[in-house]
Amino acid sequence: MHGALHVAKTGLSAQDTQLKVISNNLANVSTVGFKKDRLEFEDLLYQIRRQPGAATGEDSMLPSGLQLGSGVRTVSTQKLFTTGDMQITDQPFDVAINGRGFLQVTQPNGDIAYTRNGELHLDGEGRLVTAEGYLIEPAITLPDEVTNFSVATDGTVNVTVAGDPEPQELGQLELADFVNPQGLQAVGQNLYIETAASGAPIVGIAGEDGLGIIKQGMLESSNVNAVEELVNMITTQRAYEMNSKVISTADEMLSYVSQQL
Amino acid sequence: MDKVLYVAMTGARENMYAQQAHANNLANATTTGFKSDFEQARAMRVLGDGFESRVYAMSERPGTNLDSGTLMQTGRDLDVAIAGDGWLAVQGPDGNEVYTRNGSLQVDAANQLVTGSGLPVLGAGGAPIVIPPAQSLTIGNDGTITIRPVGENAVEVAQIDQLKLVQPENGQLFKGRDGFMHTDNDVPLAANPNVQVRAGYLEASNVNAVAELTAMISLQRQFEMQIKMMKTAEELSSSAAQVLSLS
Repeated sequence: MHGALHVAKTGLSAQDTQLKVISNNLANVSTVGFKKDRLEFEDLLYQIRRQPGAATGEDSMLPSGLQLGSGVRTVSTQKLFTTGDMQITDQPFDVAINGRGFLQVTQPNGDIAYTRNGELHLDGEGRLVTAEGYLIEPAITLPDEVTNFSVATDGTVNVTVAGDPEPQELGQLELADFVNPQGLQAVGQNLYIETAASGAPIVGIAGEDGLGIIKQGMLESSNVNAVEELVNMITTQRAYEMNSKVISTADEMLSYVSQQL
Repeated sequence: MDKVLYVAMTGARENMYAQQAHANNLANATTTGFKSDFEQARAMRVLGDGFESRVYAMSERPGTNLDSGTLMQTGRDLDVAIAGDGWLAVQGPDGNEVYTRNGSLQVDAANQLVTGSGLPVLGAGGAPIVIPPAQSLTIGNDGTITIRPVGENAVEVAQIDQLKLVQPENGQLFKGRDGFMHTDNDVPLAANPNVQVRAGYLEASNVNAVAELTAMISLQRQFEMQIKMMKTAEELSSSAAQVLSLS
């Protein structure tokens, strides 16, 4: 029918996807440990309608030919793992990772997932869990009547129990790092799972081997920049309008043909 | 049938091709590092035996607009934009060295530095760049990649490689079917030390949306005129049939 129709359609659907990514980022502007997504666009293949250099006569040839692009596509979303602002909450069960690394979480199916959300809770058995109730790996179980709970920068967990002045060491939180954190798959609930693109997790102690340190009483806020997202939303909307204008132009051309002839 | 019908038909067809070229530019109005395509029409005589009385229209892409797009600040270490002229060399889908200005780079699981679509980025020697496990990574203004290896002190920085940046002469690059810039016969260009990059920025598409929309409107009107010509041809032939009819 009209090539421009299909080309503009790819533009519309790409801007649609872009808007979805932006709205997801904006919806998570205050989600602890959230990392924003960015959509990657790429132009589609070009078709050669007329080959440059094709002969037009005995000793003449086309100097530039005609190559027509077929639109745009969305290649991938990239998670941007820049650090969010650190908020001081002074809650003993809030931990933030200052630097690289992820906390490890055991999902209900037994697989390990990774998160930067350090809002920890206790479950009925005194174990450290995430807000969803998933166990932190390595599992740390608190005794009864804890009066003080502290996490050192290397992840060592110490508690003092009522009636005992000596603190007890309960274990150590470990951090996992990846060669390519952007390759992690986000599965919701602030969790990421390992993929072939991310590489295998490298588990270590906080503060060593390039891993970040653990800060108790702090949380890492979302790294979404609301202003930036709103600016992106404006460009997306205008690009969408222009592509729909292309479609209406193509439509008017075709309807003109069917009316006039 | 009157030849005017065929001449007008090529005009309308070529207008539609031209519309597609502009639609492609508009569809890529937000594609990082995209370079818009020019489109022009040429008059083509119909060559052959006999008197060359007819001249058809022909749309063509004379080249690509290589103007820089606006630099957008992203703050990401692995985003690079080229300041001024120059291109980033990557290994294209066909294995040849191709050039792009889309510098949203990433490190893949094999520790290779790749573009957003996964094509290896080439280093100063023309080989793909491999980044050892790093705690932090900095790309300098000349494309030098410096890392702080995992577990090392801040003073133990290591220089890994340098992005291969080229500065071709005018007319040396053309856009291939994969959307990347190629040289004739894919002969690799030599790295040019004068090309500057800025880390933490990306280059926006250089499509001028207003110009593209204006071109679309003017092509639309032109198209309508071609259709009008076809209509006129039809009327001429039907009135000729009337005059000559035996009744």
